[in-house]
Amino acid sequence: MSAVVEVKDLRYRYHDGAEALRGVSFAIAENECVGLIGPNGAGKSTLLLHLNGILPEQLEGAPTLSVFGEPVNRATLDRVRSAVGLLFQDADDQLFCPTVFDDVAFGPQQFGLNESAVAAKVRAALAQVGLDGFEKRSPHHLSRGEKRRVCLAGLLACDPRVLVLDEPTSDLDPRGKRELKALLRQIAATKIIATHDLELVVELCSRVLVLDRGVIVAEGPTVSILSNERLMLDHGLERPHILQHRHPH
Amino acid sequence: MRHDFLDRYGRLDSPVHRLPAGLKLVIALVIILTVVLLTGLTVWGFAALAGLLAVVALASRVPLGFLARRLLLLEPFVVGVAVLALLQPDGDRIFLLIVTKSTLCLFTMVLLSNTTPFAELLVALRRARLPALLITTLALMYRYLFVLVDEAERMRRARACRTFAKGRFGLWKVLGTVVGQLFVRSAERAERIYAAMCARGWK
Repeated sequence: MSAVVEVKDLRYRYHDGAEALRGVSFAIAENECVGLIGPNGAGKSTLLLHLNGILPEQLEGAPTLSVFGEPVNRATLDRVRSAVGLLFQDADDQLFCPTVFDDVAFGPQQFGLNESAVAAKVRAALAQVGLDGFEKRSPHHLSRGEKRRVCLAGLLACDPRVLVLDEPTSDLDPRGKRELKALLRQIAATKIIATHDLELVVELCSRVLVLDRGVIVAEGPTVSILSNERLMLDHGLERPHILQHRHPH
Repeated sequence: MRHDFLDRYGRLDSPVHRLPAGLKLVIALVIILTVVLLTGLTVWGFAALAGLLAVVALASRVPLGFLARRLLLLEPFVVGVAVLALLQPDGDRIFLLIVTKSTLCLFTMVLLSNTTPFAELLVALRRARLPALLITTLALMYRYLFVLVDEAERMRRARACRTFAKGRFGLWKVLGTVVGQLFVRSAERAERIYAAMCARGWK
């Protein structure tokens, strides 16, 4: 398996001087589903923004990140963004069009598809997330779970090979979480999920990265990392209930 | 504020609602240009236009009380400007003319926006080759106006929950803080929205 996403010694400092990432390195293989966990303010969201080339400073200087073997810089930005779909933490930031249709169509339109191809993509994507018939609705009018699924449809319409999800279940009710999990399981793509929802990680991810204060403090198979009580507590996490009654021996 | 403040009745079903958005836009534009540009309109001319608009309003099934309230909401701006005309010689005639003309134009727009969903108006404007940047700006405004209002409302409530002392000065101070916060939050949200647009290929 070759690396789909490769990050080498990634550093990032915000304008106000706060150091968000202090030398992060990891690689992710094709079709892997990796959980990114860590306390609030660990740098998870900042790291995810890098995967799509969003922060402009990143594009200057030597590239520290490559997607499908290509370094992320101004020349490769379009290809990187069409390959990597990024789900934002706040659905209201991501749904910026007046109707659900326009929003899901936004990505395909940017990639220059014609009108009927765009419409077909939108229909397929909405069907995939179970929201047929929502085309004319206004995003402001939807429930959180629906908003989240429209966001996901917007990404799926671009046929991304890598899905990067920032807290996908943080504001969903249990049913919303269950539905989203089932949906994510069906989607065949490499997935990177930053979340505090450790049960989601146990159910979906085969491997986890633990990020704290801008560095990766641990990485390995999900169950062995998450059942390491000491490690979890040290980094503002805890052993999820789902693993409480499982013993390694 | 409700999220459909601009086009609350835009989704009713009536002969007027079923007309294509582009056609309605053109008709509205023609009516407004007629009212604004024709200087020789007589009382009967205005009455005929008003009658036409009244027929459209009735046919559209939008509650008349709502239309009247919406018009009253906008009227102070019109009257505020028109009052200045009273200071000139022959001012009362000019005053009446301005008020009538503006009211007819406003009523046309109120009717248009309540018989056509905003999104369809945007499509019509795009077809009319309006600059894409302008349409994007309008679309974003329509989308986030209510998010912003909701945010202000949440902040106001949160403030109110912890405001015990009453007094005008305190109130103004709080309002200042809320407005400032809202500005900062909007700027940050704008950055996140831009990032989300870029992530899906916006150039």
